[in-house]
Amino acid sequence: MNKRNHQDTSGGGDYGGLQGNVGKSDSSSMSSGKAKMWEEEQDAGTGVDDELLAVLGYKVKSSEMEDVADKLEQLGMVMDAAPNLFCDTVHYNPSDLYGWVQSMLSELNNPPNTILDPMLQGQQIDDPLLAPAEFSSVPTLGFLNSQQQRQIDTTQSSRIYNDDSEYDLRAIPGSAAYPQTQDRESNRKRLKTSSGSNSAPPLLPSSPQAAGGAAAGTVSDSSRPIVLADSQETGVRLVHTLMACAEAVQQENLKIADALVKQVHLLAASLAGAMKKVATYFAKALARRIYRIYPQDCLDASYSDILQMHFYETCPYLKFAHFTANQAILEAFATASRVHVIDFGLKQGMQWPALIQALALRPGGPPAFRLTGIGPPQPDNKDALQQVGWKLAELAETIGVEFQFRGFVTNSLADIDPSMLDIRPPEEEAVAVNSVFELHPLLARPGAIEKVLLSIKAMKPKIVAVVEQEANHNGPVFMDRFTEALHYYSSLFDSLEGSTLVPPTQDLIMSEAYLGRQICNVVASEGADRVERHETLTQWRTRMGSAGFEPVHLGSNAFRQASMLLALFAGGDGYRVDENDGCLMLGWHTRPLIATSAWQLITTDSS
Amino acid sequence: MMAASNEVNLNESKMVVPLNTWVLISNFKLAYNLLRRPDGTFNRHLAEFLDRKVPANTKPVLGVFSFDVIIDRSTSLLSRIYRPADGEQPQLNIADLEKPVTAEVVPVIIFFHGGSFAHSSANSAIYDTLCRRLVSICKVVVVSVNYRRAPENRYPCAYDDGWAALNWVNSSSWLQSKDSKVHIYLAGDSSGGNIVHHVALRAVESDIEVLGNILLNPMFGGQERTESEKRLDGKYFVTIQDRDWYWRAFLPEGEDRDHPACNPFGPKGNFLEGIKFPKSLVVVASLDLIQDRQLAYVKGLEKAGQKVKLLYLEQATIGFYLLPNNNHFYTVMDEISNFVGSDC
Repeated sequence: MNKRNHQDTSGGGDYGGLQGNVGKSDSSSMSSGKAKMWEEEQDAGTGVDDELLAVLGYKVKSSEMEDVADKLEQLGMVMDAAPNLFCDTVHYNPSDLYGWVQSMLSELNNPPNTILDPMLQGQQIDDPLLAPAEFSSVPTLGFLNSQQQRQIDTTQSSRIYNDDSEYDLRAIPGSAAYPQTQDRESNRKRLKTSSGSNSAPPLLPSSPQAAGGAAAGTVSDSSRPIVLADSQETGVRLVHTLMACAEAVQQENLKIADALVKQVHLLAASLAGAMKKVATYFAKALARRIYRIYPQDCLDASYSDILQMHFYETCPYLKFAHFTANQAILEAFATASRVHVIDFGLKQGMQWPALIQALALRPGGPPAFRLTGIGPPQPDNKDALQQVGWKLAELAETIGVEFQFRGFVTNSLADIDPSMLDIRPPEEEAVAVNSVFELHPLLARPGAIEKVLLSIKAMKPKIVAVVEQEANHNGPVFMDRFTEALHYYSSLFDSLEGSTLVPPTQDLIMSEAYLGRQICNVVASEGADRVERHETLTQWRTRMGSAGFEPVHLGSNAFRQASMLLALFAGGDGYRVDENDGCLMLGWHTRPLIATSAWQLITTDSS
Repeated sequence: MMAASNEVNLNESKMVVPLNTWVLISNFKLAYNLLRRPDGTFNRHLAEFLDRKVPANTKPVLGVFSFDVIIDRSTSLLSRIYRPADGEQPQLNIADLEKPVTAEVVPVIIFFHGGSFAHSSANSAIYDTLCRRLVSICKVVVVSVNYRRAPENRYPCAYDDGWAALNWVNSSSWLQSKDSKVHIYLAGDSSGGNIVHHVALRAVESDIEVLGNILLNPMFGGQERTESEKRLDGKYFVTIQDRDWYWRAFLPEGEDRDHPACNPFGPKGNFLEGIKFPKSLVVVASLDLIQDRQLAYVKGLEKAGQKVKLLYLEQATIGFYLLPNNNHFYTVMDEISNFVGSDC
């Protein structure tokens, strides 16, 4: 037992003479002729990805392995010689090893522009060990307190900071966003941004999915991630009972289903916390389905907006959605002098103050900003859209951004024709289309999503920012939808629980109601009424790809800022930002819950 | 001088590992260089951005399914559980995940991933894949602990988390073998190997029995520079300088590398004579620059009369076990199988 156990493997076949060996890949597949450079067109099929690396999250074609190795070697030498060279680099798509290494090597020839931003406090915020400081003391626009002035003075002489299109997270507003009465004035926060130093992100071809469900970096439809928070005996029985009830509903054993619903309520009564609430909402939804009580009480649009606002305040999901979408839009608008954002769901316009402020601080000055806000009809013919537009206009005026607003009332995005939106040609004005949770309802009407995607194309957008729930709640089989939704909302409620103050605030209760309505819709509705037809990023990628869009990758700077936003606004420790093939996802622990992706029209010419 | 010797070094390391392994580990090396700052801080955001992660999956893939559990809310301590799927279930329900294990004896390996205390997570693709392979090949249940990392969380956080996980596993009735006990083994690579030792040490004082320790290229160190460190510095992906950085990031401020966390049998260490310490399987790669420290660890166990088996792998570098494209990988898997299978 104590003897040295020598393993002589120097002659072992697997190690010796392995230049060019790429593990278990079938060598015959490497013999295909054309060697494509990574910048060229996107169709796959030349060279097979190394399987062993693919499972680990890295897409490297077997035929490129030697090349990648050479470049890594080069990069290694450069890094040894100049260790700080890449500390301001913005990274994109780490799964594409070749691209990742290549872009760093390219930076040697084209160093990013470095522009000192007099208002930055980047040195402070950049340090992850420092607690996010000073966001409580806030000056009104135009004044800096002495501490900030000192920071600026030291920073101007410190190292050059050239992070790409960053803007001050402290500007993420709650209802404090809008120019308000006196007491709100003092809450307005100072904004900063820095130059769009790097050129526009490299437009990487959409990479083909790595083979197999186990490939890293993709939450494919064939995987179901679960985070268990509750191992209590009652928790397990509760879930069992819920599933059995759903099963009974699917099989139309309504008497049994009814009995089981009552059982669920009984079991839930002895629980506390997230599981109790989730179970209760699901039980109620099942009851509705059993008794065919649908559609649910029609909420007028303004009330559902209110629920969403509370959800916005309580947890970081919507803030993350707005923030990451704005990042993509900002980057796309970096050099435009006139911009037009088409917001598919204006609601209270919470997303836009931050964008307006960021545009205001663009080096070289803000572009002229047009916003078209789309929304559903209001009761009493109130013009809610216009009201939001006015508030935003006031804000824009205060900050000095030329602003125009137009509201568009419609019951469905599919009813909008691009010609109605006064789209100007791309040379004149850069267009961004913004959709936060507005695409999935279109799946309830046949043909609607296709129509809308066509419309978007006709708008010739520079960028399309899409945020959607990361879940498949649109499968054809009821049980599958039910199970998926149960897992999804369990995680979501758990995250709210994590961030809650005791006693629960009004915000929290409303947020739960907001989510409860979604649960009800997923479980109890059908047909055109079932609008919460969430689909996963993988599914949206396929749709967008088929419709003629290609991904625009969000990079490490957006990731970092989103992470910092979480640190600022998220109550619980469990929130995580994940990079997934150029998209960003926000999740609770290891369960991704929403995903932000950015798109552009497929470019047909090589640039 | 550094650049020139590196040229030679890079070619050397390329000769001893398959090309895709070389690409993988070099990629890590370079990425990690970007993350360590000279002032001792760590670019955590970039680290998380670059790390390739995978979700858990209750749908069995190649006979293994996984799910995550929050073990301790106060520290957000999460572990990923890997279980063999029995039969043809297309998918496991949330209610089935913690269904009691059915075999007579089920070894449960609590796994601590590597990353020099600063890098990686339980859901890093490299470790998710390794754990799945462990389950498939060795027929075990694996609990992979997502311990808190340095420099944000220094010693003893990682050990505390390991200890919390050990307690959780020990009290999970669904993990008990037929004798109503959970058969627990601790395993880890690099910093994970170090954690194994220290958690096992803590267990000695308790009534939790750890049946065995598996240390894969464990991370140990000391103030003095050993011969292997000097000889292999910078030659096979690792440098003394980066090792020093990680120790400075993990150890309490002001402590040196003879702190017992780093150097368990060193001048400030404790010898384990007369205590009931688990049997150990220690895997040492001959091209790992800290092998002298690892060999000294083995000697320390031997001198204290503890059961230890050393597996010394010629021409192996760090990370050889991340890809199953070499004999060493299979050798190690076999050894682990035997180690957990041969219970007295």
